[in-house]
Amino acid sequence: AQERITVNIGSSHPENNIWVYAMKNTFQPEVNRILGAAGAYEIAWVESYGGTLYKFTDTREAVMDGIVDVGMVGTVWEGANMPLQNVTYFTPFATEDHRMIIEIFDDLSENLPELKDSWAQNGMVHLSSLITDSYDIYATFPVETLADLQNRKLNAPGTSANWLRETGATPVDGALTTYYTNIQTGVTEGTLSFASGILPTRVYEVAPELTRVGIGSMYFGGIAANKDFFDGLPGPVQEAFREAAAATSVAHGDYVADLAARALDEMQAAGLTIHELPEEEKAAWVNGLPNIIEPWLEQTGESGRVVLKAYFDALRERGATPLRNWDEGL
Amino acid sequence: MTTLAIGFLLIGLLVALVLLGLQIAYALLAVAFAGIWIIRDNLGLAFRMLELTAYSGIADYLFATIPLFVLMGLLVSVSNVGRDTFEVAEVLLRRLVGGLGVATVAANTVFAAVTGVSIASAAVFTRVAVPEMTRHGYRASFAAGTVAGSSVLGMLIPPSLLLIIYGVLAEVSIGGMFIAGIIPGLMLAGGFVVLLILTAAVFPRFVMSDPAGSRERRLDTGGPSMTVGTMIAKLTPIVALVVLVLGGLYTGYFTPTEAGGVGAFGALVVAIARRSLDRHKLWQVMKQTGVISVSILLLLIAASFYSRMLSIAGLPDAIADLVTRSGFGPYGFLFLYAAIILLMGMILDSTSILLIMVPIAAPIATSMGFDLSHFGIVTVIAVEIGLLTPPFGISVFTVHSTLADPDVTIEQVFSATLPFVGVMLLVLVLVALFPVTATLFL
Amino acid sequence: MSTSDESTSGADDAYIPRLADAPVGSVLATVAAILSSIGTAWIGALMLLIVADVVGRNFLDAPITGVAEIAARSVVAIVFLRVAAAILQRRLTRADFLLRRLERASPRALCLVEALFALAGAVVFALIVWASWPKLASAWATAEFFGVQGVFTIPTWPFRLITVAGAALASLCALYVAQDELRKLGARE
Ligand code: NA
Ligand code: NA
Repeated sequence: AQERITVNIGSSHPENNIWVYAMKNTFQPEVNRILGAAGAYEIAWVESYGGTLYKFTDTREAVMDGIVDVGMVGTVWEGANMPLQNVTYFTPFATEDHRMIIEIFDDLSENLPELKDSWAQNGMVHLSSLITDSYDIYATFPVETLADLQNRKLNAPGTSANWLRETGATPVDGALTTYYTNIQTGVTEGTLSFASGILPTRVYEVAPELTRVGIGSMYFGGIAANKDFFDGLPGPVQEAFREAAAATSVAHGDYVADLAARALDEMQAAGLTIHELPEEEKAAWVNGLPNIIEPWLEQTGESGRVVLKAYFDALRERGATPLRNWDEGL
Repeated sequence: MTTLAIGFLLIGLLVALVLLGLQIAYALLAVAFAGIWIIRDNLGLAFRMLELTAYSGIADYLFATIPLFVLMGLLVSVSNVGRDTFEVAEVLLRRLVGGLGVATVAANTVFAAVTGVSIASAAVFTRVAVPEMTRHGYRASFAAGTVAGSSVLGMLIPPSLLLIIYGVLAEVSIGGMFIAGIIPGLMLAGGFVVLLILTAAVFPRFVMSDPAGSRERRLDTGGPSMTVGTMIAKLTPIVALVVLVLGGLYTGYFTPTEAGGVGAFGALVVAIARRSLDRHKLWQVMKQTGVISVSILLLLIAASFYSRMLSIAGLPDAIADLVTRSGFGPYGFLFLYAAIILLMGMILDSTSILLIMVPIAAPIATSMGFDLSHFGIVTVIAVEIGLLTPPFGISVFTVHSTLADPDVTIEQVFSATLPFVGVMLLVLVLVALFPVTATLFL
Repeated sequence: MSTSDESTSGADDAYIPRLADAPVGSVLATVAAILSSIGTAWIGALMLLIVADVVGRNFLDAPITGVAEIAARSVVAIVFLRVAAAILQRRLTRADFLLRRLERASPRALCLVEALFALAGAVVFALIVWASWPKLASAWATAEFFGVQGVFTIPTWPFRLITVAGAALASLCALYVAQDELRKLGARE
């Protein structure tokens, strides 16, 4: 006979969000498919997508506390409790290849003790990596040289404020939902953001000049399971989760790639002009930044050094050439 | 018992406890705690969700709008801006039939744009407009009814606490709700004006204690006059505040929270400039702000816990299913919903009605294809009618107790307010049938 | 809105009984009044912070970092700083039309019902304390913060402490109100 297992799955964001899409559309069906083929177990999914149970500030606690058994965890909002996962935000201009970031963090989260333990300490098991496509500048003006950033106000929330240091631009707080009116009313003159996020908010209508800067793709967080819950699952179900998670990572990378490409097409059709910041200007930008990884290293100590080194080794192994060697001198 | 049956039982329990008079925040928190515990059969989970809700349920930039707009409204109230507005309206409209009533509505409309609580309007205009109206031969009860009736404009014309609370509960843009409220607010004000002129012309006995004498005084060319300069001076502060807050919001230059902060600061400047505020009085106003906003914010924490329990029970989905299959159609649902709110409005206060109804109804409204801003305006108008209906009509209570006139009974004020309720029902139907009234500028 | 719409003035501190009359009540009410005053001042500070950010951003190219996060946390802090006083002042929103009828019919029954309701409040706030203190302890132990490393960071433990302490005081105040109602009940015999 089939054993029925109830799994509460949920997120702070709706089902069509880039970080949730593959949970609903790949992870769940894949688990069902794998278990269905074997026949011994069946999952009864209880879905709480779209923030009906908790807000985006609480994604870690929701999975850790078992409010959901499986959930999207935005480590980007967990600078205090899961700082190691935010290494990409403190090492900009590393790579624009978001699939590479997924691959690296799927590997490190499982095989690098520092990262794996960090998930475990927070009562979670990492299943699949979530990322953003590469950050660029959407503004009312094109950026041809760094001088064009002088005395400009740009939306750059959270850690991304660091990326504007010494550029002469003033970072202004905000969120995807505020960029449009901020720019329209002159509160800011543009924003640091990524294509798949910008398209649905129509920011390109008020900021029609996109300058490809290549600040890079960022590790945003992971799909994770509550540790007690996961450890209590029968072996074959754990295996099915792992296998489905691998498929989810691929699907997430594809979805973001498609969405970003489609976003650029649609935005260009709607009047967006794309500029490329010259290589030497990019180099000047990244080398002009202060050592923004320093406070992060101070906070994370030895584990931070290990993670940073492993991340940069993995980047280079896969053929990426980070514009600045943030791991220098470790 | 199914999860769903438990969910319905818990809603029944909640309504019963609230009607019995248990503090609404306690009722929401206790019922939700028990609900999560029972439905998931997990006491630990109930504790963890309670902790999450208490600590971060209202930890949101948007919620800061609540104390800020309350503070602004109270500062404006103490600085006699309402009185000045009424005086100008009085001079301009004195010769009109029912002119003082119209002046009250006009002043209330302008005043509404700088205050977020109806009750502020009710208290201010009871002191300012009722004595003037009685002096000019209006029945005191009619004057009181006019003030109570037109005070509801404060909650529909932005800024408005009810619109903020709805926006928070339904997760729609509060700035958007403010804009959606403008046309329905003006429709309501226009409806009140027509009502006043018609009543004064057709049933003068209902309005005036001595219609003939009043007519004479109205046509008398003497009486108080005011130079244009004085008018401008009296109106400048309120116009400046309206431009600052609504202008900032409408152009998107301010977020709602910033509009609240800047508006409160502007009102403070006005109050200090007019010397209507010393340190002691400022502290009193701030304390009162604390009392009002904390009672609302605590309710919002409790409501967010309750709505999380509802979604664990799967209730909004289930009710949506039920409504869809019942064949009511969207408008059948909308009218049923409005009717329930009107009934609740007879016995409950506005915030509680929103807290109980919106978490259940908003997801259903979305699934039936309603624009949530439009749905919100319908909700808020229906809720506002409750401010005026017996036995529990807080605007009428406020006017009655502020007036403190032994010759005017509370029943008289309630019945003088009824025609205004009629106009509100008419506007409710119009807004419900024509979503464009709410969504035009969105 | 029954609570919010009352016009208040004057006797705001009337809920503090004299030390000699009711020592426990007097101490509770004094602590509640102090926390409440902090909450009141915090509202003013919040207004000034937002104005400073608007001015700084638009006229001085110097926005204040973290205003949104600070404002968000402030809202919660203000609630828990003020809630105990609201309980003592009996200012929590409720529908009292049945209670007013009950009072006319039997003042003693009203006291009993009020005592039960206050007990319910004491339990609810005790649940919040019980649920929240472990997170306070771990926030302290792990130096949890909000904000962004290298941009601005603010420790969370003071905010968690306000939640726990405010809820604990609220629970005690609700217990005191229950006791006070029962005392009135006894006095009416
Ligand atoms: Na208003
Ligand atoms: Na009513």
